[in-house]
Formats: sequence, C-alpha cells, structure tokens
Amino acid sequence: MYGWLWRHLPGPVAVRATTAVVLVLAVVALLMFVIFPWVEPKLPFNQVTTTQ
Amino acid sequence: MTTLDTGGPPPTALDEPGGQPPPPPGRGDRIRAVVRGIGEVLITAGLVVLLFVVYEVYVTDWVSAGKQRDATQALDNQWKKEDQAPAAPEQQRVERFDGLDEGTGFAKMHIPAFGADYAFTIIEGTTERSLEIGPGHYKGTAYPGEPGNFAVAGHRVGKGAPFNDVDLLDSCDAIVVETRFSWFVYRVLPKKDEVSGWATGKGTDPRCQGVAPLGGPYTGLVGQEIVNPSQGSVIAPIPGHPDDAPSVGERATLMTLTTCHPRFSDRQRLIVHAVMVKQWAKDPTKPGETPPELKETN
Repeated sequence: MYGWLWRHLPGPVAVRATTAVVLVLAVVALLMFVIFPWVEPKLPFNQVTTTQ
Repeated sequence: MTTLDTGGPPPTALDEPGGQPPPPPGRGDRIRAVVRGIGEVLITAGLVVLLFVVYEVYVTDWVSAGKQRDATQALDNQWKKEDQAPAAPEQQRVERFDGLDEGTGFAKMHIPAFGADYAFTIIEGTTERSLEIGPGHYKGTAYPGEPGNFAVAGHRVGKGAPFNDVDLLDSCDAIVVETRFSWFVYRVLPKKDEVSGWATGKGTDPRCQGVAPLGGPYTGLVGQEIVNPSQGSVIAPIPGHPDDAPSVGERATLMTLTTCHPRFSDRQRLIVHAVMVKQWAKDPTKPGETPPELKETN
C-alpha cells in the first residue's frame, strides 16, 4: 500500500517526501475534525447523563 | 520479515526506468504483496485508534477550553451589563432563570477542594453540544438555590473534563455556585460508611455544619453513589423516588452531579449528592468579594 503510493508519487525524492507529509497531515486533519467528532458520540466512552 | 520487506516488483526495474521491463510477477510475489498489504492496513488501523485516543483525551480538551472561555466571557459581560444598567431596584435582587436557551451559561461552579482556580460556567441543557462547553444543567430540575434538586452533568474524560476528579469529593466538601446575585454553598452529603457514626464522627468537623444524613423521604440518600445509566431518578427532587412529588416547602435544596463511571466507560454513572448549607448575597458595593468557603482549598 505505502510502497505503491510512494512509487506513484511524482517528482524527485524531496518532492515526494514533501507530498507524502502533506498527505499524512491531510488524513490526520480529516480524522480529527470530521471523522472523530462524528463517530465519538456513537461510542460507549463518554456518556455522562442518566436517562430522564 | 526480510522476505516480506523485499517483496513486490524487483527494485532494479524501478531504478532503471529505461531498462528492461520487469519480469511478470510470480505467484510468490503476489502472495507476499497481499500479506504485506494486510499488514500495512492493520498497522494503519492501530495508528488511527491511537490517534483517536489523542483526540478524545487532548484535542477535545482544547476545543472545549475555547468554548468554555467564550461562555464565561458571555456570562461576565451579561452580568456587567446588567450591573451598569440595573433594571430593578435593590429589593428585587432575586435570581431569574426562566427562558434560558439551550447552551447558554447562567451560573458558575467552584469546587475549592479541586483548587482555587477550579471554576466552570454551567450551561443550560445536557445535549452533547452543551456538555462540550461545560457542565450542563438538566432541564426541568431546580436552579441554584431553589428547593428541589439542582442537577448537573459533566464530562470526566476530555471536553474539559470538568468532573474528572468528582470521585475524590469527600463529604462536606464545598460546591460553591455563583449566580448573578448570590453565592450558594452546597456541601457533599455523608457517604454511606459515614452515615451511622455521623453525629460523633465526621459530623463534628466545623466544615460539616449543616450537613447531616437527611431524614424523612430523603432517608438513605448518601453523598456518593454509582448507578446504572437508566436510573434517571437520581436527579428527581427526592433522589431515588421519581414518583414522589413533594410540595416546594417539603423539598430539601439539593445539588446532584452526574458523570460517567468507570472513567473511559459509559457502563455506569457516578453520582454525587450535596445539600445547600448557606447562601451569601452579593454586595453590590463590593463587587470582587468572595465567600470564605472558596478558600477551603486543601
């Protein structure tokens, strides 16, 4: 997976490394700001109220 | 592992772009690629889970800290504005909580046992969105100082974790609720193992003045209990007796905190009950004055 990705990134090594870092950061941001906030209330970790 | 790591097309094919085309991959190469792909997916999934822990424990804290700061700022501004343009004469300095919108702050809670800087603005409502800002007031329960049960829920992990250490609250520890015109001092009720020897034991502590096991319909009510999430009766006017509807005159003035238990789990709820022992009216001529209970920081 990662090998395939690396081989398909264009440009010399420096450019590829930069692109890879940007991609990783984009994925982390997507997780942090979109996916985790959406999934978090559905998980059984942090429910603090009693049913009324 | 080394055989797996060198899988895939032979590196020579990549290093020499103008060279011979790579030989067609053999069966072993394909299996190696699949196994390596599965391994990479699993490692990635593990990293995502780790990242989720970071999110839950730290990132939500930062986000909530900003929201809590905004809510506190809004409440301070509102109080200041009302101070500058008093709508009512002196004798009408009474609290008004009607018509509060979901998500607005209306009071501050201080727990001096958690440090002099422990202060959170209490938010109306207990939706996810409100609880992200700060401790949330269960709609329909009493407001600060009112007879009945002033019930507040708060997160224990992440999201500012206002109730992180609520399990450490001892009997007689003060929960000071600041409103527009007053300071209401609630104190945690005796715990289960302290009830029987209260009068000669812990009850002799000067801090415990006004705190004693409650009688009548409140018999059996203790300072801390752990219940199932379905037991909504803990926030009833008489906790544990949802069907009793005592008249206002018969009601004790209680405060109840709810949070998740055990930490990082929603299997149960940790409940703390406190009773109001004192009310200080804010002196409009001394704006910065705080009640002595706020100094009980040990």
